[in-house]
Amino acid sequence: MSSTARPLAGAPVAVTGAGVVSPLGNDFAAFDDALFAGRSAVRARALEIPGVELPPVPVAAAEFDAAAVVAPSRVPLDRCTAMALVAADHAAREAGLVADRFDAERLGIFWGSGMAGASTFETTCRSLYAEQRRMRPTSVVTTMPNAPVAELALRFGARGAALAFACACASSAVAIGEAMRAIRAGRIDVAIAGGSESLLTPGVLASWQAMRVLTPLAAGADREASAQRACRPFAADRAGFALGEAAAAFVLESTEHARARGAVVRFDLAGYATNCDGVHITNPDPAGQARAMRAALADAGLSAEAIGYLNAHGTATTAGDAAEAESIASVFGAGGVPVSSTKAIHGHLLGAGGAVELLAAARALAAGRLPPNANVECADPAFALDLVTRCARESAGLDAVLSNSFAFGGTNAVLIATRPRR
Amino acid sequence: MTPSTFDAIFAVLVEQFKVDAAAVQPQVALDQLGLDSLALMEFVFAVEDRFDVRIPEDRLDPRQAGVTLEQLALLLDEAIARKASPDVVNG
Repeated sequence: MSSTARPLAGAPVAVTGAGVVSPLGNDFAAFDDALFAGRSAVRARALEIPGVELPPVPVAAAEFDAAAVVAPSRVPLDRCTAMALVAADHAAREAGLVADRFDAERLGIFWGSGMAGASTFETTCRSLYAEQRRMRPTSVVTTMPNAPVAELALRFGARGAALAFACACASSAVAIGEAMRAIRAGRIDVAIAGGSESLLTPGVLASWQAMRVLTPLAAGADREASAQRACRPFAADRAGFALGEAAAAFVLESTEHARARGAVVRFDLAGYATNCDGVHITNPDPAGQARAMRAALADAGLSAEAIGYLNAHGTATTAGDAAEAESIASVFGAGGVPVSSTKAIHGHLLGAGGAVELLAAARALAAGRLPPNANVECADPAFALDLVTRCARESAGLDAVLSNSFAFGGTNAVLIATRPRR
Repeated sequence: MTPSTFDAIFAVLVEQFKVDAAAVQPQVALDQLGLDSLALMEFVFAVEDRFDVRIPEDRLDPRQAGVTLEQLALLLDEAIARKASPDVVNG
């Protein structure tokens, strides 16, 4: 791209640490292993609700002991907040971020969750109504959508900002993007940004099932096998998604701040854009998505050709994938960029999705390999996509990656990561 | 104070509230545990739930400083005894 397009672009923001708790594993070795093998963590789960008969649902759970996490506030934690604390601790450790090396007033927490403590609220309400047990005095502070960001701010002593973003499946992509903007604007130097979600409780699962967006499972002996391949993004036979739970956190800093403290830059956040379809509560609008992708490219100062991998939102719903295939083709041209949706293996992580999928894209960038879009026997012939199917694809010289997050409510968010240029 | 009652208090404080085991002694007051008022209320709820009893509010306000773990255990013992012999309810 010519240098005349550069003035529109913003400065890249350094990412110096990352951490994850996810169905694929809670460290990068396990995460990469499942990511590049395309190994699904989705399993069948029965919906146990007394007096109500519902079919089982596909879920991707993380192996995670929330009870082992010490709350900075000492009050009980929702599982999604416990996951947030562990992921953020990992990120801060990788970044070498210790209290005496940053100004707390210049540190902000930017965190995304779709429904945050909803599963705790469900559990406590169930004891109230079904078992006539009291509500706990901490029900409010455990349930509130900013519970994760509040505990994270306590943990890291952040004085600059503690902001929670709730825009459904785009929540954590927006949180990361807004942290990036705050750093670029000079309002803070460092941010811990990401998202977490853990909503695998019967009432929440039944709510998603009622929307008919979860893939129905086969009966009997085939149930487990059908769960593992429940989510088939961009496949001709796609039938919906599986819910998952996860947290992913990143340490973002201005390039100057990272350099001054001698931090290793893992990758750069080069571009971000968010907008809204403003069309429909659930149906996605390819025009809105395309506008968001183009705006993120302009923000990064990159042409579409510069992007070597696109991690799609790819929920494997009929309408969602069709809209995204159309918007990707309109921005990149038919088959113009290698695409995969990793939701096939980690499920739909809702508010945590943007953060975990940015991590997947960043791991691809680091490895020079593109993770496969698992579970696709036959891609939908209507889509003009270069879908990375069956196995990981080598991509030496991979330099820029893009991650899409499109939410119920019409919020679109696009993040672009690049190899550090210094 | 029944030893098993204190053991339960000890377990809840150490396992659930991550209080240092060495700090959990019968003569230690609630406000010396490093928990704020909200966490203290949550703690009392948790031990009550463990025995499925309630300490009447006029006998204990966990926000009051100075109540020791031993006194809390005795209040729990009373509540457990009341539950075991329903005729002395309100007694």
